[in-house]
Amino acid sequence: MVTVSRTDPRIEDRDLVRQLEADGRGAFVESYDPQDEIMTINMGPVHPATHGVLRLLLELDGETVVDCKPMIGYLHTGMEKECEDQNWRGAVTIVTRMDYLSPFHNEHAYSQAVEQLLGVEVPPRGKYIRMLMCELNRLASHLVQFGTQGLDMGAMSAMFYGFREREVITDFFEMVTGLRMNHGYIVPGGVWEDLPDGWQEQMTNILEVMPNRLNEYQDLLSENPIFVERTRGVGTISAEECDAFGVTGPIARASGIDWDLRRDMPYEAYDELSFEVPVQEQGDVYARYQVRMAEMVQCLGLIEQIVDRMPDGDYKNMDPKLTPPPRSEMNRSMEAVIHHFKLVTQGYVVAEGEAYVAVESPRGELGALVVSSGGTSPHRCHVRDPSFYNLQSLPVMATGGLVADLIACIASLDPIMGGVDR
Amino acid sequence: MGGVSDYHGANFITTNLDKLVNWARKSSLWPATFGLACCAIEMMATTMPRHDLARFGMERFSASPRQADLMIVAGRVSQKMAPVLRQVYDQMSEPKWVISMGACASTGGVFNNYGLVQGVDQIVPVDIYVPGCPPRPEMLIDGIMLLHDRISKGEYTTTRTAVS
Amino acid sequence: MTMATHLLSSAEWAKRAPVWRDEGWVLMDLAGLDRLGLAPDEGERGRFEIVCQLLKRADKSRMTVHVEAEGNPPTVASVTHVWETATFAEREAYDMYGILFEGHDDLTRILMPDDWEGFPLRRDYDVGKIAIDFKPQPFLQTESPGQGTNFGESDVEADALGQMKRDGHGE
Repeated sequence: MVTVSRTDPRIEDRDLVRQLEADGRGAFVESYDPQDEIMTINMGPVHPATHGVLRLLLELDGETVVDCKPMIGYLHTGMEKECEDQNWRGAVTIVTRMDYLSPFHNEHAYSQAVEQLLGVEVPPRGKYIRMLMCELNRLASHLVQFGTQGLDMGAMSAMFYGFREREVITDFFEMVTGLRMNHGYIVPGGVWEDLPDGWQEQMTNILEVMPNRLNEYQDLLSENPIFVERTRGVGTISAEECDAFGVTGPIARASGIDWDLRRDMPYEAYDELSFEVPVQEQGDVYARYQVRMAEMVQCLGLIEQIVDRMPDGDYKNMDPKLTPPPRSEMNRSMEAVIHHFKLVTQGYVVAEGEAYVAVESPRGELGALVVSSGGTSPHRCHVRDPSFYNLQSLPVMATGGLVADLIACIASLDPIMGGVDR
Repeated sequence: MGGVSDYHGANFITTNLDKLVNWARKSSLWPATFGLACCAIEMMATTMPRHDLARFGMERFSASPRQADLMIVAGRVSQKMAPVLRQVYDQMSEPKWVISMGACASTGGVFNNYGLVQGVDQIVPVDIYVPGCPPRPEMLIDGIMLLHDRISKGEYTTTRTAVS
Repeated sequence: MTMATHLLSSAEWAKRAPVWRDEGWVLMDLAGLDRLGLAPDEGERGRFEIVCQLLKRADKSRMTVHVEAEGNPPTVASVTHVWETATFAEREAYDMYGILFEGHDDLTRILMPDDWEGFPLRRDYDVGKIAIDFKPQPFLQTESPGQGTNFGESDVEADALGQMKRDGHGE
């Protein structure tokens, strides 16, 4: 039953109107204000299609989204306060759990900021190992995003394929760091341990298998008419809006902003490697999908270059004030024992100052602001999380579309609530 | 909430019926979607082809609490989320079980501060605690199999302490 | 790649932010900072500040801006009308530090529950560690699941900590 104004000129047959009203089959009002029909609906925080504990307050006119207000804080863990309670090495284990789908990037940003304050250099092998783990992490994260995007659209197979590939990568992570997620591996000074024997064979296996699998995904979704219908023209955001909201990463690159921190403000040894940065112009969900698919292919190229060029040498800056000396040396030297004792009980001291370093994480610019008061624990450790700022652009993307388009937008935004709420 | 034999007294028919009911309950536990943080990714990985959870009849994660039997609290529960957790638990219909997955859900994990509830058993009664940060999918499956054993032996009612 | 640092008052920030935005600077991050415990710099600096990170893609340069929060309660001019990026970030700085932002439309708590009292990230706010309380285990798992016949009944005794009682090892 539709509510129509009795005086609407489209209704010419007044007798029919009166009859429908009398029968109870029509509802006609004197005046009809669309605002009366707006429903306020709460979506989340427990919802199968919001990525984590995201709560959205939706105002709907039928199926059309009139306004959408993200409400966050359901995963607030007090991590920034917790970091102030740990020493500089221990804060890595806290920071890594913020954006939990790209733990290496969190650690990387934090470690680089602390190294800037310490004034230490990372040896070349350490840099290359860090880049290898970060690129593998980017690949794993995009695979999960591909999977969840397909799942939200109803293409469940995408989920199975994406996670199947991710298992191969997490096997490698487990071989190197001991954990599948939340590794605590990239520390100020380098990495925690060297790559184990046999890592090259494992990487070769991955590099042989992945390109075909990525082609499989292209066949699965890229030209699928249902997927294209649901994503083309949906959730558009322009480059100016991206700048207004501080949106970075694949979302900005899909709107035409040609900016990638690895290429434009290179850190570690990214200036020694060659790769392309995919950029699209339309700014809709399909463009973001294409950017991420292209980035996955570029990741494979980068990983191949890193594996070929991996230098020998130290994996961590072995300055005894920073790294505990090896056990064998402790049997011979008294200073080694003292350094080991001080580093394990108190941790190292970082000079006063402040540093902000940003890396390119799978979701955008991930920065770490570290303030030191000259002690063994951070005075302030703030992480600029990309999802926190990307999420603010959701109302712009979703307003005017249908609820189903909202789901597609959330999936393409790829918000990780651990980073949003910290 | 108990077994069938509680009502009529144990005899040959009701004990076998009890076994049948317990077998049916444990063979298709439907988990409620309660993935919160990093453990949610490992929970998703458990349902994926490598560590297939569908062989236990559990691939159908129910978004509606009414149709869910098992709540796997996967992740850290913040102060803001605690009332939501209790509400979803209350909306689940009997019989229901709770697995607290991960260190954060079991005890507060790596975080001991103002923001987190130190262990989800402050809010809901828990049947199985699965430690780890995050627990491997195999560990979660081990916890689920332990729960299956408890269900098939009709033990679940005795493990819970009353939550005031 | 240049990284400049500025220390501004709230009024200067309100004046220069639109100028910077028109030059092409984009606000990347806005965070609160409590200086309690940091060594004082030259000149008088209040306790609360906000730290803003700006990025200019055309020059590939970054800029860090510290803005003092003056008064009690500490107040800073809001830049939500310049960069909408600041909407969530200023709410977080308010929620965590109690810094008020003049001109913000909706300055409410964002991460903590609405009725929370206190500002958690201030240096004089306690972390809130709770002493660890060991509870006794209701059951000791002495055999592998599904393999024992008397699963659930255990003839092993547990002490108050839930540890197995052993002969000759204390009580």
